[in-house]
Amino acid sequence: MFETLELMRLADAMARHASDRQAVIARNVANADTPGYRSRDLPDFSEIYAAPAPDELRTTRRGHLSEAPGERLQAQSFDAPGATSPNGNTVSLEVEMVRAADVRQEHELALGVYSASLDMLRSALGRR
Amino acid sequence: MAGLIETMAISASGMGAQSERLRHVSENVANADTPGYRRKTIAFETAVKDGESTGKVQTGPVNLDPGVLERVFDPSHPLADDTGHYDGSNVDLVLELADAREAQRSYEANLKLFDQARQMSSRVLELLRR
Repeated sequence: MFETLELMRLADAMARHASDRQAVIARNVANADTPGYRSRDLPDFSEIYAAPAPDELRTTRRGHLSEAPGERLQAQSFDAPGATSPNGNTVSLEVEMVRAADVRQEHELALGVYSASLDMLRSALGRR
Repeated sequence: MAGLIETMAISASGMGAQSERLRHVSENVANADTPGYRRKTIAFETAVKDGESTGKVQTGPVNLDPGVLERVFDPSHPLADDTGHYDGSNVDLVLELADAREAQRSYEANLKLFDQARQMSSRVLELLRR
C-alpha cells in the first residue's frame, strides 16, 4: 500500500526537477544574446536519483529526525556550453529547444505516474 | 510550480528585451536617410537584484555607433559644404535587417518556452480538477 506513496513522492520529485530544469533553460534562452553569458543545465533526474545519499542519519525511532525525501533530489546546475559566439556567449538555441522537449516529456511522465497512483489509491479506498 | 512561474517571468523579460532591441532597429531604419544620424545599438545584460543574478535579461544603455558617416554628394542640399558633400547616416540597412531577424528568432524562442511553461502549469492544475 505505501509503495504508492513512495511512488507519488518520486513523481513529485521528478515533476519538480522538470520545472526547475525548465527555469534553467528559460534563463539560457532569455540570455541567448547577452555577451559573456554561459549556458547552464541541470543533470538528468535519473542521475540524481541514482546518486548515493550523502551520509544519511539513521532513523530507528519515530522521534528521530530525517531529511525530507525531496531534499536529497535537489540538483546543482552546471556549465553546459554549446557553440561559443564571438561575444563569449555559449547558448545554442537549438540545443535549448531539445532540452525543452526533454523537460516537457519528463513532466508529462511524472504527472502521468502521479495521477495513475492517485487513481490506484482512490480505487483502494473504494471510491470511484 | 514555483519553477514554472519563474520560467514565465524570465521568458517575459527575454521577450521584453528583444522587442526593445527591435524598437531600436526600426529607429535606425527609419532614420537611414537622416543627415548626421548615427545608428543606435543596445547591449543586453543579466539583471542583478540584491547582488544576485536573477537570470532575467535587461537592456543596457544605448550606444551610438562611432563608425564613419557616409559622405553624400548633393550640391543642392542645404547642408552641403564647398565640395558639394554632406554627412549622411552610418546606418547599413542589410545589417539592420539581419539584426531584426535575429531579434525575431530569439523572441520566438522565448515565446515558445513561455508557452511550454504555461502548458506545464495548466497540466498540474488539471490534477486538481479530477
